[in-house]
Amino acid sequence: MLFRILKNSFLKRPKAIFLIFLSIVMGSAVATAFLGIAGEISHKMALELRSYGANILIEPSAAEGGGFLRDEDLPKIKTVFWKYNITGFTPYLFGIAEFSAGGRKERGVVSGTWFTKQLEIPGEDVSILGIKGIAPWWEVQGRWPEDADEAMIGAALAKRLHIAPGGEVTAHVRVGMQKFRIVGVVTTGGYEEEQLFAPLVTVQSLLQQQGKVSRVQVSALTVPMDDFGKKDPATMTKEEYEKWYCTAYVTSVAKNVEEVMAGSRAKPIWQIASAEGALLKKLNSVMLLLTILALGASATAVSTSLMASMAERSPEIALMKAVGADRFQISAIFIGETLIISLAGGVVGYLLGNQLAEIISRTVFNSTIASPLWLFPTAIISALVVSIAGSITPLRRALLIEPVTVLKG
Amino acid sequence: MAELIIETTNLTRNYGDICALKPLDLQVPEGEWLTVMGHSGSGKSTLMNLVGGLDRPSAGSLQVGGKDLLAFTEDGLARFRREFVGIIFQQHHLVPYLTAVENVMLAQYFHSVPDEAEARSSLERVGLGHRLKNRPGELSGGEQQRVCIARAIINSPKLLLGDEPTGNLDQKSTLMVMELLKELRAEEKFTVIMVTHNQEVAAWGDRTIYLNDGMLVREESRLKVAEV
Amino acid sequence: MATLLKLIPHLFAWFGIVLIMLRGFSGRRSSVMLAGMIGFVIGVTGTFILFRSYPGSVTFGVVKSVLGMSFILLWGCSVVAIYRSTDRAKVMSWGKRLIKTPSTAIIASCLAGVGAGAVCTCRLSAATTDGVAMASVLLLLAAGAVAYIALAFEKRMPEAFKVSPAGMLAIVTALLLFSASSILRLDLFSPLSMKVMKGVHDFVHQFMESILIPDHLFVRSYIWKTIGLLFSKEVGFWGGMVIWFTPAILIVLAIQFERLPAVAHIRQGAQRRRVLVDAIRARRYRALIPVFALLLLAAATYQSCFPSVEYWDPKPLPVTAGSSGEIIIPKKGEINLEDGKLHKYIFRQGVKEARFFVLMTPAGELTVDLDACAICKPDGYGQAEGSVICYYCKTLIPLETVGKPGGCNPVPIPFTENGDSVVVDGLTLINSWSATVQATARVKEGGK
Repeated sequence: MLFRILKNSFLKRPKAIFLIFLSIVMGSAVATAFLGIAGEISHKMALELRSYGANILIEPSAAEGGGFLRDEDLPKIKTVFWKYNITGFTPYLFGIAEFSAGGRKERGVVSGTWFTKQLEIPGEDVSILGIKGIAPWWEVQGRWPEDADEAMIGAALAKRLHIAPGGEVTAHVRVGMQKFRIVGVVTTGGYEEEQLFAPLVTVQSLLQQQGKVSRVQVSALTVPMDDFGKKDPATMTKEEYEKWYCTAYVTSVAKNVEEVMAGSRAKPIWQIASAEGALLKKLNSVMLLLTILALGASATAVSTSLMASMAERSPEIALMKAVGADRFQISAIFIGETLIISLAGGVVGYLLGNQLAEIISRTVFNSTIASPLWLFPTAIISALVVSIAGSITPLRRALLIEPVTVLKG
Repeated sequence: MAELIIETTNLTRNYGDICALKPLDLQVPEGEWLTVMGHSGSGKSTLMNLVGGLDRPSAGSLQVGGKDLLAFTEDGLARFRREFVGIIFQQHHLVPYLTAVENVMLAQYFHSVPDEAEARSSLERVGLGHRLKNRPGELSGGEQQRVCIARAIINSPKLLLGDEPTGNLDQKSTLMVMELLKELRAEEKFTVIMVTHNQEVAAWGDRTIYLNDGMLVREESRLKVAEV
Repeated sequence: MATLLKLIPHLFAWFGIVLIMLRGFSGRRSSVMLAGMIGFVIGVTGTFILFRSYPGSVTFGVVKSVLGMSFILLWGCSVVAIYRSTDRAKVMSWGKRLIKTPSTAIIASCLAGVGAGAVCTCRLSAATTDGVAMASVLLLLAAGAVAYIALAFEKRMPEAFKVSPAGMLAIVTALLLFSASSILRLDLFSPLSMKVMKGVHDFVHQFMESILIPDHLFVRSYIWKTIGLLFSKEVGFWGGMVIWFTPAILIVLAIQFERLPAVAHIRQGAQRRRVLVDAIRARRYRALIPVFALLLLAAATYQSCFPSVEYWDPKPLPVTAGSSGEIIIPKKGEINLEDGKLHKYIFRQGVKEARFFVLMTPAGELTVDLDACAICKPDGYGQAEGSVICYYCKTLIPLETVGKPGGCNPVPIPFTENGDSVVVDGLTLINSWSATVQATARVKEGGK
């Protein structure tokens, strides 16, 4: 019977229902879009600050501009004071190359690196290093390279060359050329998608840069940065410096690593992103504020249109009361009505909001967005919250209706 | 003498300064058909609302079916209305977007659970078997009033209240409705209290009371006359 | 005191169990109360004795099997309930009579008490290593008080609140499982999902073998990708969910399917409908309890999937050196050194003392280390998932590297393994402790 009442009241007043539906859709669409973008931003920030993944970058120091690091220094990284906290590292050697495959020619970056390398250091345990450990989120279609002439290609570059695992690519550089068998296509979500990854030794000989490395990414188990960690070590007292040095802040680990690599400068990766991060954080709070405002606005809209329809329906409510409906039964009818509208509105709002988030992130942030799973319940819940917040006052008004005054005669 | 279904002492209802019902003592035995007459504004609707549990008195005591209505909460009054009272309105007051049968089922739903077959047979009983699926807008005044009666008696009330049930009807429909009420009363044995302007309608009852300015001014009983 | 605070959720579960039992076996208040309390005492003392006489893993295993049995019983009852609701088996009425007998009430409440008591005691011994006896006594007193509060509360509850036997079993089992889920070693859901995953995996392999296909040769790789879905963690999780929730859902359904009273003989429509609505309402009330059990089971799943991380940090056990100055710690016995957990000891010699721990690394090697590192103030270490944490600088140290010197790693101590015991030289221990602590003493004074 409840269902019949609701069905008929929907069919009878499509305009009023549509208005309420629309305000709920708007609210939940805006909430979905903004929260989705905000969540994506935090997700990206978290990826950068994640304890796994690279958090220290070693580059040749600026003084010797354009220089290289030496790969014989690499094993020393595993011998530093914080060696147990360094869970992995991988060297890179970059060069600009002209790639040709199946008659197509494209410019790109050839990058020599370690994929999975067993490193044996006298007096230490064997450790396995390389990209695979440092970037666990890379999605490889195919497999990782194993032989010297095998390579893995970034998804964007692969698209331009129309190449899939199993194909062949020739890399031409100023000083020579090398044929690679492509065994994998990698999606990283970053600039790496424009590169071709090949074993370090092969690229070193291709570029004729034997024994040289452009940069090293280090992944270390660190303690989250706090106020103490941000202090400048130069201004610390002796006790403070002791504590700073024996705490695995990313800065102290970086300093540690820098000491063993000749001619290097090590910087925590978050420092690169920190200016950007602060901006994003502010942006995030603006988004949250806007979301709350949007939800508030649509709750007000819901409330107003419910109020109007309540005035229109007061004889009906009075009649129900006269026939013997108690407050619970009256509420069930009205709350049931708004719940159904808000559920439908939530679903539609979610779909719309997803599109909206995609458009915003493409035009404003120039990046794609992967909609996280928690957005769906969030959209539904925000729709429910909007509708319930909006229907409190109208419902109270409805419960106060007195059959005697409305049903004269 | 039958048991009293309504018993009031000093029943009063004020709206602000206006006294709609002056202290009234009224006794209605079970099964009686009582007609209330008077000019508009004489307090007869107020009396009706008080007895039906739609309104609360300002002073005095009010016992309906052995229950003290003053002691009920709002939800308690709602329960009293759905289990004890059936009301027929002058304006019918049917839900416009529900069909005739659904309007009857609405009363069932608030009372307990809807039962479509029972609702249908009750509409057939009031002679509307052919208009079950019509909405109120498609029914004539007399037909609407019969839906209203079906709805009022569906929960087997002890007390049937009619607030000028024939006020909007022509002569023929009025006669039909009154006949119907008389038949139903004979079967279901409920007590009827009916407000009316119409002397002819009043003649259907056992007893008539006259209100003026919220006061009981005159009372006449057909049965008593007959007995005497 | 802190451990008693940790018991609060378990005592709440006990409260619920008593409440439901009293209502479920209505009219037998005193016998249910008595039997429940006796069961609780048996549970506590039995588990306590088990802990004393066998290593912890045995006790946890026993309690876990008891919980598992109650879950299997719930499965059985739910199947019976849904079968009965189809009105097919009149033979089953002996079950109904059995539930009404006083001995059933006594046995059931006693068993529930045993379960609740055992889980509480497991919580106590998971939290502390000594003083369990004292805490157990306190636990018993608290449980008694809680049971009396439940009794008083039950007397005030509305008459309309009724519990069906199947619903009672569902909620009692759910409360027990919920209560157990906060103890990692008693958790039933994750082993269940693991078993499901393994079962599916084995089935697929056996199936392949039985139709004589050497699976990896003939099946294409993309097909393997699809089959591989069956081996993934998700299958275990969702399969586990199905097994976990089905009995309670079946009981809810059984209540929903219960026949309404025959009303055709009631002539007056209003009266007929009133009888119907009363029956529907009563049915809804009865379904409330198993629905609540569903919620509890969901909460248990949540706790199992996201266990609250606590650092494992046992209190150091005092040890003494023999006449030759050697400390001998047996590998097995009251404490199993090879269980992969941190075991702390304290060694006193005169005014000097040294704190150290023994740990089995994931590589399977025992290691003995000071409870301090070469650089930090000696605040000691706690163990978390896959690592130990230095309390002073909050640095996480991977378990693999414990036993190696350097960084903030605990300072290793030379030791010998002599058959089934670990032998540490007391003097070396004291000396390296003093050396380490002296080196970091400056920090100690400057700290805080």
